[in-house]
Amino acid sequence: MVPSLGYFALCLSLCFAVLQLLISIKNNSVVFVTYRVVINGLLISSLISFFSLIFCYAVSDFTVLNVFQNSHETKPLFYKIAAVWGNHEGSMLLWILVLTLFNFFIFRLYSKKNFLFISKVLQTQSIVIIGFVIFSILTSNPFERITPSQNSGLGFNPILQDPALAIHPPLLYVGYVGFSAAFSFAVAVLSSNNIEKIPWYSYMKPFVLFAWTFLTIGIALGSIWAYYELGWGGWWFWDPVENASFMPWLLGTALLHSLIVAEKRKSLQAWVLLLSILSFLLSVIGTFLVRSGILTSVHAFALDPSRGIYILGLTAFLGCYSLILFATRSNKFIRKNYFSFLSKEGSILVNNILIVVVCSTVFLGTIYPLLVEIFTSNKISVGEPYYNSTVIPIIIPAIIIMGIGPMMNWEKENGKKYLKKIIPAFSITCLITLLIFSIYQSFSFIGVMGIILAFWLISNNLMILIKKEKNYLKSMAVAHLGVGLLILGITGSSVWQKEKIINMKINDKVNVVKYNIIFEKIIEITGPNYIAIQGNFLVYDGKENIIAKLKPEKRFYPITNNITTEVAIDTNILRDLYIVLGKGNENDGWIVKIYYNPLVIWIWIGALTVFLGGVISINNNLKKLKILL
Amino acid sequence: MKSKMIIKKFVLKLIFTFFLSILFSAFSINNSYAVDPDEILINQKQELRARKIFKNIRCLVCQNQSIDESTAPLAKDLRILIRSKIVKGDNDKKIYKFLTDRYGDFILLKPSFKINTLLLWFLPVIFLSIGIFVLFWHNKKSKKN
Amino acid sequence: MRKKTLIIPFAIFLLILIAFFNLLLKERNPSDIPSNLINKKIPEFEAKSLLRSEKFLSVEKFGNEVILVNFFATWCKPCRDEHVYIKRFSDEKKIKIIGINYKDKSQKTIQWLKKLGNPYSNIPIDKNGRIAIDWGVYGIPETFVVSPKKIIKYRHVGPITKKSFEKINLIINEIKNDN
Repeated sequence: MVPSLGYFALCLSLCFAVLQLLISIKNNSVVFVTYRVVINGLLISSLISFFSLIFCYAVSDFTVLNVFQNSHETKPLFYKIAAVWGNHEGSMLLWILVLTLFNFFIFRLYSKKNFLFISKVLQTQSIVIIGFVIFSILTSNPFERITPSQNSGLGFNPILQDPALAIHPPLLYVGYVGFSAAFSFAVAVLSSNNIEKIPWYSYMKPFVLFAWTFLTIGIALGSIWAYYELGWGGWWFWDPVENASFMPWLLGTALLHSLIVAEKRKSLQAWVLLLSILSFLLSVIGTFLVRSGILTSVHAFALDPSRGIYILGLTAFLGCYSLILFATRSNKFIRKNYFSFLSKEGSILVNNILIVVVCSTVFLGTIYPLLVEIFTSNKISVGEPYYNSTVIPIIIPAIIIMGIGPMMNWEKENGKKYLKKIIPAFSITCLITLLIFSIYQSFSFIGVMGIILAFWLISNNLMILIKKEKNYLKSMAVAHLGVGLLILGITGSSVWQKEKIINMKINDKVNVVKYNIIFEKIIEITGPNYIAIQGNFLVYDGKENIIAKLKPEKRFYPITNNITTEVAIDTNILRDLYIVLGKGNENDGWIVKIYYNPLVIWIWIGALTVFLGGVISINNNLKKLKILL
Repeated sequence: MKSKMIIKKFVLKLIFTFFLSILFSAFSINNSYAVDPDEILINQKQELRARKIFKNIRCLVCQNQSIDESTAPLAKDLRILIRSKIVKGDNDKKIYKFLTDRYGDFILLKPSFKINTLLLWFLPVIFLSIGIFVLFWHNKKSKKN
Repeated sequence: MRKKTLIIPFAIFLLILIAFFNLLLKERNPSDIPSNLINKKIPEFEAKSLLRSEKFLSVEKFGNEVILVNFFATWCKPCRDEHVYIKRFSDEKKIKIIGINYKDKSQKTIQWLKKLGNPYSNIPIDKNGRIAIDWGVYGIPETFVVSPKKIIKYRHVGPITKKSFEKINLIINEIKNDN
């Protein structure tokens, strides 16, 4: 019953979306009530569809193919629900839900002043929704049934049963799909004739902020999961699908900053339009890459070329239409008022260019192996070293400008006055850099660079926050502070990481930096669906006090015959102590891998702070929008 | 009731011993740990060189890992092989050639500088140059005002 | 200048689309790594032989006819699955097959072959996996087609299925016709 309800609701949402399209084309103010009905109906039917699928998973209805393939009756309820969006079909349903949700909020802007414009936005949004709903119904129906029905499911991967991993997809989708609103606005702006009186950039801003903020936290959670779960201390691998989430984030950041300039100074409008289109196109291309089967990745969903052809077709349609529109109609948005480099707009423009260069490079690295495959019969791979050598040199000047920029005036800044402004922050930076190097006693170039950049941002923005400067946005200071903390964490954990791999027998002792670690014992434990061997390690500081008990495990899940490693981590503000248990036995001893990762927690604190900055900004912008409307 | 508990405990113990024996046996599932202590070279300089090379070699049976991080048996074999070549005295270039002769360029995580990767390495520079050019052009226009 | 530059994003997008369409329509397995040894001479090697007392010398055993080289092990389940096709190559198609026993226990292999049948004309033992590395093997089973001139013409990764059986046969016949 419920699966049929879900499928019916999905088809119903297609009808509502088509109705919305027709109304928006017809477009006179009489249709407001009809709009309301249709848009609410669209959202509600989409919600019903999504919750029907959740219900099927919650009760483990294995007559539904999707549930059978991706769930298992012994999974805890929380993970059963998380499995809804952990597979292709269910995640498309989530895409559609978020599209209809943003659609609903676009409609909230509708008023007598702007109804023609908002209708155009709703028109584009409805086309996007129709595209994805048809895709779902035709090629990725989550409510497909199987006969005969099964008693037990296939979906049980213990690595995926983790809280961070469970909520990471929905947050990411709010991000990706949120850019659809920006896309719809951009297309509407380009195809409108009398747009001067409408502050479309102010309308767009909250949507972009929302999308960008959630994309930030979504990506951060994915990295947090990788670090804590995968067992070798890494948190970013330049995997094609990770890149697919990073590129919209990069362009989204550029878009956000350009919107600020557009709102305040009316410049960079054409740039805003282009970035809106490109961010969303990259989101859709990212979806394509993951689901079409043209490349493999840990993240890739089950491979199916027919789906790939459809999504690529949809991308082609949306992309060609919007970019041709841009090519022909954006000329009037290019203002002739040029601003000096030494200004706020100037620094935002410079950083925008740098961001686009980084994004292009990441895109190049991601698709290059595919291009080589097309034109030659070879296969090459582009891995971490490539991105490190190309992206980092470009990010360094961008970060420096990020520190300098916010304190400049709009339009033109006086060089001498400006230098005076930055002296305090500059001195603090130098001081702290010297301090850190006297503590850690290590002098690599990247380390120095990283620390200087980090404290440059941290001190600049902390001072803004502490002084409660009225000229500067609190949200900006918080977000930039977050980036500074992020860089601090990244530098510390990569440059000063210490690793020790040794064989240990019970009661053996090893020394790592200033800690003494004793291998106390090995015990057997049982979990809800696994059995495990657990090593108990006592960590003593220099003064013979026990500061931590670390218990890494090797788990065996009988249902799927998986063996996984559970890392044991002791975290504090200054460092992570990370222990992994390898193979071994009583006689020969066990292989133990110990990592000393300084400042790791600042990566997560930094990301969270950036997220917080986004939230503050959303709050401020919603207030502004209410006044505007 | 008590006998049920005893049977349950016994069955668990059985599963455990089975599990432990898997762990102990030589032909077990992939649980050799990346860079086992017994692999490590005594000469620190050579070992550092080895680790640097490992970080640049892709594990072919894994998803996007280097052989330095991977626990796969092939990764371990390659690590031991590369270390023996370092001890023998081969330089980095020779070692990379040995690997690419057999596995192709795909095994390198850092793409080599060949004709088919020219674009890959030069385009970022070109992108940056275009960016800088745009900025200078903009600056010129603004100075005119 | 302005109007012309505005078309650039569209142009780049179009190029990327064409590239992706091309990739989609080609039949390819994204996780397949093409062998670097195609159309090159085989890596020569010598090894102990499983069932014969004399050593296996590749310089002697290759070079007269089309030969299949099959890397296998008893602990590898797909190897067992494809065994029926390997036997078909040797029994039906009368192709000489050299089975390289990868990181295995000799006793186990002998038993395995007794049970399933031995399609191999010779079984060199690759105890530490070096021979496999020399052939660019990354995941067994792998099967190579070697021409009478000792050139590797084709490599198949993974167990041989009906489809790949027929493909390899085609390739073998092509090589035979060329000579």
